[in-house]
Amino acid sequence: MKAFVFDAARCNGCFNCQIACKDEHVDNDWAPYAAPQPDTGHFWMRVDQKVHGQVPKVRLEYRVSLCNHCADAPCVKAAPDAVHQREDGLVIIDPERARGRHDLVEACPYGAIYLNEELDLPQKCTGCAHLVDAGEQPRCVAMCPTGALRFGDEEDLADALAQGEVSRPELGCGPRVHYLNLPKLFISGDVWDKEANEIIEGAEVRLEAPDGSQLVTQTDDLGDFWFRGLEAGDYVLSVACDGYVGVEARPVALEESLNVGDFPLVRA
Amino acid sequence: MVRKGVGADSSHLLGLGWCGNGLGSNTAVVDVRDGKILRTRTFDFYEGYDPEELNAWKLTVGDKTFEGPSTLALPPLSIAYKKRVTSKNRILYPMKRVDWDPKGERHPENRGKSKFQRISWDEALDIIADELHRQYDVYGPGSILVQQDGHGETKLVHGPHGCMSKLFELMGGVTLQCRQPDSWEGWYWGAVHVWDAFPTGEGIQKNLFKDVSENTDLLLCWGCDQETTPWGWGGQVASQMTYWFKDLGIEMIYLCPDLNYAAGVHADRWIPVYPNTDLALQFAIAYVWITEDLYDKEYVQTHTVGFDWLEYEVMGGTTGVVKTPEWAESVCGVPARIIRALARKWHKQATTVAHCNGGGYIRSAYSHEPARMEVVLLAMQGLGKPGRNQFKFVEWGLYGADSQKAVPPSVPFGTLQAGYNGAQSPFVRFIPKTLIPKGIRAKEPFTWMGIPRPSMPRENQFREYRFPMTDDDPYLHMIWTDCPCWTTCWNGGNDFIDALRSPELECVVAQHPWFENDCLFADLLLPINTKYEERDIGSEFDDAVPNVIYLETQCIEPLGESKSDWECACAVAERVGLLHEYTGGRDVDACIKDAFDGSGAPDFMSYDEFLEKEYLAVPFIKDWEDIPAGYEEFCNDPAGNPLTTPSGLLEIYSASLAARFPDDVERLPYPHFIDEGPNHHESRLGERAKDYPFLMVSNHPRWRVHAQMDDIPWLREIAKITGEDGYAYEPVWIHPTDAERYGIADGDVVKIYNERGWTLGGAVLTERIMPGSISQDHGARLDPCEPGVSDRAGANNIICPTNVTSKYAVGEVTNGFLVGIEKADLAELAAQFPDTFSRVMDEGQGPSLSNWMTEEDR
Repeated sequence: MKAFVFDAARCNGCFNCQIACKDEHVDNDWAPYAAPQPDTGHFWMRVDQKVHGQVPKVRLEYRVSLCNHCADAPCVKAAPDAVHQREDGLVIIDPERARGRHDLVEACPYGAIYLNEELDLPQKCTGCAHLVDAGEQPRCVAMCPTGALRFGDEEDLADALAQGEVSRPELGCGPRVHYLNLPKLFISGDVWDKEANEIIEGAEVRLEAPDGSQLVTQTDDLGDFWFRGLEAGDYVLSVACDGYVGVEARPVALEESLNVGDFPLVRA
Repeated sequence: MVRKGVGADSSHLLGLGWCGNGLGSNTAVVDVRDGKILRTRTFDFYEGYDPEELNAWKLTVGDKTFEGPSTLALPPLSIAYKKRVTSKNRILYPMKRVDWDPKGERHPENRGKSKFQRISWDEALDIIADELHRQYDVYGPGSILVQQDGHGETKLVHGPHGCMSKLFELMGGVTLQCRQPDSWEGWYWGAVHVWDAFPTGEGIQKNLFKDVSENTDLLLCWGCDQETTPWGWGGQVASQMTYWFKDLGIEMIYLCPDLNYAAGVHADRWIPVYPNTDLALQFAIAYVWITEDLYDKEYVQTHTVGFDWLEYEVMGGTTGVVKTPEWAESVCGVPARIIRALARKWHKQATTVAHCNGGGYIRSAYSHEPARMEVVLLAMQGLGKPGRNQFKFVEWGLYGADSQKAVPPSVPFGTLQAGYNGAQSPFVRFIPKTLIPKGIRAKEPFTWMGIPRPSMPRENQFREYRFPMTDDDPYLHMIWTDCPCWTTCWNGGNDFIDALRSPELECVVAQHPWFENDCLFADLLLPINTKYEERDIGSEFDDAVPNVIYLETQCIEPLGESKSDWECACAVAERVGLLHEYTGGRDVDACIKDAFDGSGAPDFMSYDEFLEKEYLAVPFIKDWEDIPAGYEEFCNDPAGNPLTTPSGLLEIYSASLAARFPDDVERLPYPHFIDEGPNHHESRLGERAKDYPFLMVSNHPRWRVHAQMDDIPWLREIAKITGEDGYAYEPVWIHPTDAERYGIADGDVVKIYNERGWTLGGAVLTERIMPGSISQDHGARLDPCEPGVSDRAGANNIICPTNVTSKYAVGEVTNGFLVGIEKADLAELAAQFPDTFSRVMDEGQGPSLSNWMTEEDR
């Protein structure tokens, strides 16, 4: 079965995948795989950008969204006469038989199906099956400059599949787009000596996670500390440094990535 | 033949970069089906070659290996570019401004207001021929200004820029617009006087990709956005390199007011610096090094002259201000403790400063100061020692100079110049591009220093030039432009628009594929092809992939009545009876063959083989790893490998500047701190900041190349902010705390203003910009409200400073300038500017050309 792998740690956010999808499908008829995609408004391959943190502790996260080519696809169930799963797992909306089937847009829990109003046709990513059948990669994958986006047989991608996660697994659809290294959330800040107006390197920063586990790090040579890959929840932060009055048990409610600010310490 | 793509009838190699003027890049394969462009894909440079035959390169560091890329990873701009071919914004036939009557009233005051009507090529050529003869008869050579530079499609036989100037030379002479080093101002006007680096003032790049990979611990990405700037003509190699540097554990600190696109994904630390206050930060770093004895004294003694002047300036200089980190904090916004920590870190770790030509400070007021100060800082830590250089993520093929090749070079190979029909006239009569408004209005001679072009020798900056060139030469009465984007790319577009309406200016002709920007102010418009519609020859040199030349076969038939830039010039030449003199009897294929023959290509393959294979790849040299990196040779033996400065050393104090410009208070012989002076008042601590409290970042755009591509729906869909009125506004980044103070919400339309005028933007409240600054990319397609005053599209160059870099440096100042912001009242604006606010939009593309055409021609 075919699968996609997206590695967030390798995505530079160039949008080549989103643009390449349009290049391949807008105004190009790939019957019987797909009818032309409208010029704008459809994102069979979509890049979303999220800004994490606050000045100056800020990072960008990019994530792609496309049809998950689910093993147990709700769209196939909704319209077995108009949507089919190929032997290689790619899910195809038949551009003729699906005409008028507006219900398919709602059938996809991932929002991956778009309505082409002009053609009265629900449409989505085909995995560029017309290219795959010719021995090529889907356009989005072929145009990715960094290798962040991959496509292939599940067995060839086994390592990535084992480490990765899928979108909303609780739906039980068996999605075949796998995400690696999603950054989740961070807590960051910096520590300094108020009197000397100098950063403090090597201060010990502790973070108690909602499950009670303890994360420990040290401030770096710019006085910064970072806890990455966190889930949302209530944390408790403390800072300790020999010779200084530390910071005790500061509660941190983490909903989005947070620069908790600077911690000016005074000498003990 | 290039491998045919799936579903394609034919496939074509095409250089889809926008450097312009014959310098190809972003080599792509364009698939065509049914006479229509099907897709744009990457080209495998080894498709027709054995990698061994081309000495394919790789770099191994420890247990990791970087394979030299086999394809030039295209930027999204190249993939989406085909949309410009069928843009509704295309000029498809000649057009004339309705109230411009060459035999009667010309109404120069209505440029930018009145509409256009369709005319035939025949009629257009008649008008042009008459007007040219009249200009030469009445005024003599020099009354015609040709604007023939800037970026644009990269074509060789077909131009794209400067095809007309050769014809005007044949007719007796011309005044040329001389494009100053706009992306390198500070290096050119400042750094050059320290290290005399060719051709732009940026440092020697030789083998620095290897040196950084092997030796650098810390990359200071100073205003550097390698996820944006290289896109126009370097693809995404820089991005691939950056991930490699990360894999090697090289730390990256970004210094910039905005969290740019590279910083957002690569930065280990972002240190926000107020726009164009880097100089204060640099001086404070020098202060820390001097007071804590953290610099390479021996190197400074043996490799530099005038260090005592730097110490003098750091410790107070003429103003008495000691450049402490605390002082710098008040100027640049970086906490003193971070400045101290950064200074110590820079000293301790092998540090290279990385650029994509310089970021904001290189195009700001007094840009020569931070640029030369950077070189001084590099010198203080032993410039040229392993891992300590200045590295560029772009333009390793610049001017074909060996000094620029940060990546493995190919065996020596020529250029395609023999087939080139674009700009090649010498700068005899010329006006620096920054001074064009002054030139248009001139009624008495004025002067400036230097022919402001990269590759000019340093000494040329000490030579005075004037316009008109002699007392016998005429002032300007006509403009011919093939790069109509001065308003949206240069220093003070409103001033240029105002000048374009001067009564002395009798005729303005624009030849361009699209109706945009300066085209609005033309009297005659000539329809030009895109390169998909032409046959040409292209190249890609020094982009880490093998050097190639290739046949650019015609993809589709020309749209409408469009011609190529060269064919357009040929048509005019024919009408004035100079066609043979102009072309030398060459047609397109003869030009292509001349280019091939003149390049050295016949040493590798025959022309027939080239026509068959459609491309030639040249091998990399085998022993590239032995090339000394950056300033290594100078570092190891300054006497044996001197610089080309007068002393042969790094000149912190320039005796040449001292001798030539003793009265200059803006650029002294040695780097000094300056934020305001006679020419500029753009400091957030100065008087003007009371009225205009924000420093404006206007970077090279993420979703355009300067002014190009603002009509591509797929890019606009990503980039633009739809206002309440449904118009797609150019985004402006505002920090949430600033927005709150001004009652601005996310998505609001915001007026950005100063005494030079105003433009609009769609507010994006974001943590990607530091408080006190706002950021809006430059180059949005002009959509004037009151021409010369205001604009709806976010064409912020219209309100840039009009003054040049400093008294004797005719650079542009287009970043880091003061503006005010306020929430725009759209209803009021719509009432005040009904024409602008009722313009018809083309779906996804922005304002329609039809708005500017007469009823019957729509």
